Amino acid sequence: MEIYLPIAEQSMNVFVLLGLGAAAGLLAGMFGVGGGFLATPLLIFVGIPPTVAVASQANQVIANSISSLQVQWRRGNVDLRMGLILLLGGMLGSTAGVSLFTYLKRIGQIDFVIAVLYVLMLSTIGLLMLFESLRTYLRRRRNPEGPRGKLHTHYLVHRLPLKLRFYKSKLYISALLPLGIGFGIGVLSAILGVGGGFVLVPAMIYILGMPTSVVIGTSNFQILFVAANVTFLQAATNGTVDVVLALLLILGGVVGAPVGSRLAARLSGVVLRGLMALLILAVATELLTDLLRTPGSLYSLAPRDMAP
Amino acid sequence: MWLAAIAGLAALLWTSAMAQGPPRIEPPAGALVGPTLGGSIDPVPPSVPSEAVAPDLVVDLSVPRVSITSAFQGESILLFGMFDPPGEIVVVVVGPPFRETVLRKQRVLGLWLNIGRQSFDDVPAYYAIAASQPLQRLLARGAGGEILSLEDRLSSVRAIGERPADELAQFRNGLVQVKRQEGLYPAAIGQVTIQAGRLFRVELPFPSTLPEGVYEIRTYLLRDGKIAAAVSRPLPVGKVGFSAELAGWASREGSLYGLGAIAMALVVGWIGGALVRRL
Repeated sequence: MEIYLPIAEQSMNVFVLLGLGAAAGLLAGMFGVGGGFLATPLLIFVGIPPTVAVASQANQVIANSISSLQVQWRRGNVDLRMGLILLLGGMLGSTAGVSLFTYLKRIGQIDFVIAVLYVLMLSTIGLLMLFESLRTYLRRRRNPEGPRGKLHTHYLVHRLPLKLRFYKSKLYISALLPLGIGFGIGVLSAILGVGGGFVLVPAMIYILGMPTSVVIGTSNFQILFVAANVTFLQAATNGTVDVVLALLLILGGVVGAPVGSRLAARLSGVVLRGLMALLILAVATELLTDLLRTPGSLYSLAPRDMAP
Repeated sequence: MWLAAIAGLAALLWTSAMAQGPPRIEPPAGALVGPTLGGSIDPVPPSVPSEAVAPDLVVDLSVPRVSITSAFQGESILLFGMFDPPGEIVVVVVGPPFRETVLRKQRVLGLWLNIGRQSFDDVPAYYAIAASQPLQRLLARGAGGEILSLEDRLSSVRAIGERPADELAQFRNGLVQVKRQEGLYPAAIGQVTIQAGRLFRVELPFPSTLPEGVYEIRTYLLRDGKIAAAVSRPLPVGKVGFSAELAGWASREGSLYGLGAIAMALVVGWIGGALVRRL
């Protein structure tokens, strides 16, 4: 069954879009990431113009996040204080990121930066997560009853000023840390056009040392607002949000998200992190081969609104 | 015949110029002025007499416009008509002109990146040709004049900025490649079928990626490799109904549309989430 997408200006199979939405929803429910880093390349692959894919994907992430947040909130898995500080950083960062995006576009290097940033970030995060979860998994198997060790290790960053207590996360760290992370995520999400969950979740686990259970709810909280901000800015400045496309993705996601949440509740944190690491590495590998492989066609058309 | 055509046209223009009084006949509101050929600004180029004075060739379309609705999947339009034999028919469909920017990938340190870019002005959004005989044979004996193959048409698009001619040609070929993949520059010449020696018909297929705008369908009657008559018809392509309203809203009031999109996502996400969990 085909449907015409009024902003993307083409018709597309309804079930392909529903399926894509369900996949993104599954990720959102399972790992607390928006799924944009996976769904956006896929949308572009099936032929949606990149500008429309990025903007409509942001719109879908809103629904995914609110749907996932409902569950997490009820279970008390949202660290509101942490979320608000991350959000503050995120808003500042995305504003800075938009300026950077405009500058890169002007000097004509935005494509290069996006492609390389994606590959570098995804492969770094993926590898780090994979090694960490493998190490934890092996240690636990070897020594199941052994000492748990410290809740988290202490680095230099824990000596920063403005320390705050985060009760839900069982942390006593400087507010500058989540603020800085939020800022970095904001910059990235403005440049790459994704919610940034796939960077935020590992950062919360490994840099802040938050427990995995709280990470998903809290990142969903932050992503909800960042995605709303991106949707608004894209609609107001570029007019590239396709609500018909977004609605189909959302409907798919509505089914996928709770399935993901239930799966996540059943799996242990280590397995969950390992799976996410593999997924991130798979996307990174795909993007890297795209950069390395001789393309079928050397030519493409720039979106009309991006023409100089 | 040409003299008669020009004289008839002059008479028409003269009478319409004289008719300044109130009971002036206006063209219907939906009628659109057909784009002129070859960029000429003459009211009617001499080779294209208006339909009224060229009874040698009568053309009509199965639909007055292409309506892009929510169920639009591309559309096939029937063009049909009648001509005074002998002769052959050529139909050229030209989409509205746009500025297009072609990107070219290049290998940098082993990575394929979009390095080169070249913009062209006046690139037709769509270009298709249909003919009752192989085009080369029809046009062999004398230049077809304004009947341009896609290659000829594109050789006239204006490149923006300076670049060596051979590189420009590469970018132009790249443009055709991309457009062809999107189905906007069909490679095959459509088949015009002629029945009873004077009736003709041709299916014009349009893909779902069709850009909006006023398209021009030019039908030529060829005799001995020369254009004996030509009729130009505008074909508006536009979104209607729900699609049109959404697209209009998005372009007119982007901020409000954005807020609406956010609200939609929140409501559907919330209700959908609650519903599915209850199952």
